[in-house]
Amino acid sequence: MKLDVVFSGVGGQGVVVLSDIYCEAAMLEGFDVAKAEIHGMAQRGGSIVAFARIGNKVESPLIETGKADAVVGFEILETARALPMLKKNGTVIVNMKLIQPSCLPSGVKPKTKDQLISLLKAKALVHEVDGMGIAEKLGNMLVVNTVLLGALSALPEIPLKVESFQQAIAGRLKEKYINLNLKAFQLGRESVLKS
Amino acid sequence: MTKIAADKPGTFALLNGDEAVARGALETAVKVAAAYPGTPSTEILEAIAEVAKQFGIYAEWSINEIVAAEVAVGASMTGVRAIVCMKHVGLNVAADAVMTLAYTGVEGGLVIVVCDDPALHSSQNEQDTRFFAVHSKLPLLDAGSPQEALDMARYAYELSEKLHLPVILRLTTRVAHGKARVKLGALEKIIRRPDFDKNGSKWVMVPSNAIRQHRVLEKRLSEAKLDAETSQFNSLEDNGSEIGIVGSGVGYCYARSVLDTKKFSWLKLGFVHPFPAEMVKAFASKVKKLIVIEELRPYLEENIQRLKLDVTGKAELGLEEIGELTPDRVREAFAKLGLTDKPEAPQQVDLPPRPPALCPGCPHRAFYYALNMVNQSVQCDSDKCVGCDICEYICSFEKEGIFNPLKSRIRAVRIKVINNTAITCKACINAPCVAACPEDALIQSKQTGTVTVDEDKCKGCGWCIESCQYGALTLHPVTHKPLICDTCGGDPKCIPLCPESALSLKGRSDDKIVTGDIGCYTLGVLPPVKAVQSCLCMGAGISQAAGMYHAGVKDKVFSVIGDSTFFHGGMPGLLNIAYNKANVCVVVMDNSVVAMTGHQPTPGSGKTVMGANTKIIQIADIAKAVGIEKVVTVDPYDLEATIAALREITNYDGPSVLISKRPCPLLTEKGPKRQVKDTCNACGVCTKAFGCPAITQTGAHAEIDTTLCNGCGVCETVCPFGAVGRKEK
Repeated sequence: MKLDVVFSGVGGQGVVVLSDIYCEAAMLEGFDVAKAEIHGMAQRGGSIVAFARIGNKVESPLIETGKADAVVGFEILETARALPMLKKNGTVIVNMKLIQPSCLPSGVKPKTKDQLISLLKAKALVHEVDGMGIAEKLGNMLVVNTVLLGALSALPEIPLKVESFQQAIAGRLKEKYINLNLKAFQLGRESVLKS
Repeated sequence: MTKIAADKPGTFALLNGDEAVARGALETAVKVAAAYPGTPSTEILEAIAEVAKQFGIYAEWSINEIVAAEVAVGASMTGVRAIVCMKHVGLNVAADAVMTLAYTGVEGGLVIVVCDDPALHSSQNEQDTRFFAVHSKLPLLDAGSPQEALDMARYAYELSEKLHLPVILRLTTRVAHGKARVKLGALEKIIRRPDFDKNGSKWVMVPSNAIRQHRVLEKRLSEAKLDAETSQFNSLEDNGSEIGIVGSGVGYCYARSVLDTKKFSWLKLGFVHPFPAEMVKAFASKVKKLIVIEELRPYLEENIQRLKLDVTGKAELGLEEIGELTPDRVREAFAKLGLTDKPEAPQQVDLPPRPPALCPGCPHRAFYYALNMVNQSVQCDSDKCVGCDICEYICSFEKEGIFNPLKSRIRAVRIKVINNTAITCKACINAPCVAACPEDALIQSKQTGTVTVDEDKCKGCGWCIESCQYGALTLHPVTHKPLICDTCGGDPKCIPLCPESALSLKGRSDDKIVTGDIGCYTLGVLPPVKAVQSCLCMGAGISQAAGMYHAGVKDKVFSVIGDSTFFHGGMPGLLNIAYNKANVCVVVMDNSVVAMTGHQPTPGSGKTVMGANTKIIQIADIAKAVGIEKVVTVDPYDLEATIAALREITNYDGPSVLISKRPCPLLTEKGPKRQVKDTCNACGVCTKAFGCPAITQTGAHAEIDTTLCNGCGVCETVCPFGAVGRKEK
């Protein structure tokens, strides 16, 4: 067994923490894991990518181009940027939030939400997740990433039990945030199962 | 309890390489830990400090790497175990101590952890610490995974105390910042009383002792070679293949992940200095072809060549010394030799980039904006000026629609034989013309210094003309109101049309010389800020600026440096400009934290890494103490005051310090969110000149993303049309 997932977003969205929880869930089931992170220079607003690999034995923390099984995108443009990592007919989970980059070089035009989504759909099976909407319903915008973890857990290719995710979430967060995040996880999971 | 403190030997934890080193240090009962933050090494000391009290460890953020090394050496001299951690370039700072420490040796085990940064994810060079081990003659362990980092940290103490030498433990970014499932070892209980032997001459490196110790070092190094030959970290997997692959670090891991491992024989090297030559020879004798895979410089390859063995290395594999290895690059290299399939060609997706930028609300951006706005005026180089008058014609045509030099705001002055020049308003600080006007008809902009005339109030008395020491003002021949250059709003029309290129706009960002340094504020080099023109090493900017001044640069040279970088390497440079009298303005961007590496405390933050309160050391006090007479502190969110201070200091002759003080906004409460009003006319100042990442302009108005807005409110001041306000709830 070997499963490679790319997590992609913008600094400050919780990409690193979320990919950690995913790996911890895999470890609870006895899988070997390795992950790597690429941070932009600034703390907020730069591109950020985390690779998470689980399997019986994982030798390298980096994923080869075109070999990732799934991409979890926290933001639409960064999701599209991670596309070359994805294998043919791979799966994309995308949070429907677009953060337009500022200070573009002259002559470079920003892409619209629709343009980016159709780019994703041309290459992959896409699950659109309204992370912001669900988080707003729960009254805390910080749980968007847990919503996405729930969505990831619902993919048929993910070999991990729901309980392992729940245990990993509980193991990582402060007591008072656990229930809120478990709810967010469940709603994210349902949003993919329903579609 | 954090995960590195778990007393559960044999269980697994998800650790990055840095945390794994920290765990290794806990397991071997380290007593003193010192470091200076630097990506990707920072998390080692952070992880240790978090559990330090519980384990009876003393941990500190030292002010720089050599100080950290010396603190660790002192601890080791008393017989306790110590660790010092730094990034690769930090080792250059610590080198003076480390080179001679190799001679003195150590008492308690001492491990120097150095994190290299292939591909420069967050660094200024790609130096390979394996060569520093050769240079200093110290043993070096090269970790290829977080598990190895932990195991090597444990072993390093054993080795250090056996050889009485410090041991270098090298990680690279992918190991330090890669996470993996790591098996924990037992937490050893070693209790040692600190005891320093005052009679030992081995600590006193006067020449006669040092030459003796040099001999001792050679002996210790030859012992170390025997350890390398039998080290558990140098492991051979003989699959009976004709092809043998030897490697170290992550490159070796990538090779194993892209190749069918059973088809090759493998030699993994982890204890790489001294080089385990016998082991490599034995491996070479089992195979027909020997391939080396390693990142950065060909260290293993050159050592193998020295053994007169045939080796397939960087050139044949088509791998450069530049950048990091990736599974794609390694696959490509082996595919070249026909040993595996080619990597997938990456699909080109044409997407707008997300250029790195200072965070929303960053005080550095506000400061740079002020720096870019300050003191603009048209100046003439009299060496080039031929007195042709063309500027006068252009100005009158631009402003009055007529070619009439009498209506020009710039005046050509021809003093035959001596020189030619053109004179216009210099945007003086506290302009005397403004003070002289009895009708209060002249107004000076606090941001740009430009003087404008309220023609309703002006009675044409001409006192302003009398007061201008440059003779830059004249009265309009018809209206009798003064003609004053307004720099055409920052884009003077006379400059590009001067046939001798004698005119320029002084005071603009691309006109000032601004040397930079290392930290978040280095991003000031990027558009739209584009204020910074250099970045060499910690603290260099101050002395580079001094060098330019002494070379004969006439304009004020600015040097920007962060508070932590100032404490680290800027203080000697500051003392030097005070002593040697360089006309440099050192701008300390003081956010009271090491922001770039993740908000570690500094001597200015009043906290130690152990959480204790300590004295807050004021940069202004240091500046005054080293002899700087002009020291000014401003809040960069207050653009007007910042610009006023900059204008004043620009005209001050002598070494000066300007402290731009405002805490990092990621650590403080957010202000009220801002929004763009309907009155926005999309002029682009907020996006093109200020450049906050929370503001974009794709349609008819600029827009502020409220999830990103930090509420600093500087954009309200920046907007020339008052079109930004607080968001209504």
